[in-house]
Amino acid sequence: MKLILKIALGIIAAVGGFLDIGDLVFNTQAGALYRYDLLWAVLLGTIGIAVYAEMSGRVAAVNQRPVFDVIRMRLGFGPGLIALIASSLVNVLTVAAELGGLAIVLQLLFDAPFSLFVVLAVIGLVIAVALLPFGGIERLFGYGGLLMLVFVVTAIHQQPDWGAVAHGFVPSLSDSKLYLYFVVGVFAAALMPYEVHFYSSGAVEEGWTKDNLKENRLNAIIGYALGGTLACALVIVSGYLFHPLGVEPNDLGTVALPAQGAFGETGLLLALGGMMFCVGGAAIDASFAAAYNLAQFLGWEWGRYRGPKKAPRFTLSWLVFLFLAMLIVLSGINPVEITEYSVVFAVVALPMTYLPILLIAGDRSFMGEHVNGWFSRLLGWAYFAVIVVLAVAAIPLLLMTNGGGG
Amino acid sequence: MRRGSTWQRAGAVAAAVALLLLAGGCGDLSRDELSRGVESLSALAAQGELVANGVARDATRSTYARVMSQTLGGEAEHEAEKLADAEPEAAVAPQRHAAVQLAGELSQLFSELQTFPGDEQHGALVERHMEEVKEQADAVVARLTGESP
Repeated sequence: MKLILKIALGIIAAVGGFLDIGDLVFNTQAGALYRYDLLWAVLLGTIGIAVYAEMSGRVAAVNQRPVFDVIRMRLGFGPGLIALIASSLVNVLTVAAELGGLAIVLQLLFDAPFSLFVVLAVIGLVIAVALLPFGGIERLFGYGGLLMLVFVVTAIHQQPDWGAVAHGFVPSLSDSKLYLYFVVGVFAAALMPYEVHFYSSGAVEEGWTKDNLKENRLNAIIGYALGGTLACALVIVSGYLFHPLGVEPNDLGTVALPAQGAFGETGLLLALGGMMFCVGGAAIDASFAAAYNLAQFLGWEWGRYRGPKKAPRFTLSWLVFLFLAMLIVLSGINPVEITEYSVVFAVVALPMTYLPILLIAGDRSFMGEHVNGWFSRLLGWAYFAVIVVLAVAAIPLLLMTNGGGG
Repeated sequence: MRRGSTWQRAGAVAAAVALLLLAGGCGDLSRDELSRGVESLSALAAQGELVANGVARDATRSTYARVMSQTLGGEAEHEAEKLADAEPEAAVAPQRHAAVQLAGELSQLFSELQTFPGDEQHGALVERHMEEVKEQADAVVARLTGESP
């Protein structure tokens, strides 16, 4: 029973962190454009985040050192600073995208001006963080995010051609630049750097030790498997409903249409509720990740568990990141566009995030008997090779496809 | 005086060229671009059909239908403006005209849905019209690409 409760961290990280506005946008668009053909990229991304989250959680549990601490230690000050600047920019863009997404969902539910909901969303998130303990925040947004299961039920209800769905898990490449752009987008949306920053810092916040290693592994496997299932469901329902009609889901509200089609108003409300908790949770995760990175790099006291009095600079930087993100959204840029840019720019920052984790987790002098085994090492390096290729291809593909516009 | 008249003549020629370009069309909207624009209209009509279907079946929330109609209607209007402002190649001028009209109709339908997001009869009517607009848009794309819709 205790173990089941502990696994909640992984489930929450998967739903509240793994499934964010990037997944909602890219997976739905991928389904609409290519039906089930990009399911393999979702699966690839899901396994990748599980592999690296497990490593980052293991490093944190064994050494009580979260990812950015490791980055600075392994890369040194100069390259570490570049990694900090890159990840902070991506994190602020990500928080802006999530805040914008949260405001859109609230607008769809209550129909008032968008900018009002942006401000209310920020106030709501600040109150949630101020009032709830770390575990409470995770539970609120994580369990709320489970409403997204309505997309799994919708996929089953639609009775798609399961043979075609299964075929979608077989990797295939095309010379279409747009297809390749979506391969990058779907893969990167699953591997956003803030997810491992938050996961490993959360492990330190929760006081993980070597005793939690089994829990860490189960969290990474079960939690991200659930997140991946939800992400696949988004592709399937979109491929089933939108692809034959030629719908181009460029608005966040369109994501909820398949659930409405299957279960009417109840389906719609469950979908919008799930989206609200997912993007709200991700806004907190990404803004925390930005503050964690800065504090860990500069050696400040950090952690939600310490509270504002014991970690004032960490708390202030979190508020500043949230405020900056709010300004970006209020500037009038479409949140879906911000999402696309944040995901694609994140790809460029991925190698700087994942290489230090891979090096530290494979360093016996640092990890002792908990060093990467041959399987983790093989998977880790294979994924790192993929990440490097995608990092090189991401920006040219963004430009050549006019940001996925074709 | 001579100098003045030379400048005046040059100015007149420039103005005439500009007028000719405006009147004759410099053809900055290619067949492919127009085709993509009309495909976007078809996609918007398909989304509109789904939103209207929810209204017609009383299977949606009026706030959702209203906000979605407003957003999609804005996109249709934007597409209409883009198409109306662009100068088409002479060969695709009739299709451009049809596309502008379709975009206008689409915008009107979204506006209607936005005004009556809880009216099932209106929803059913708009759904049917959206379907027609989509079919017409697909037919325009087919004419442009030479493929059957």
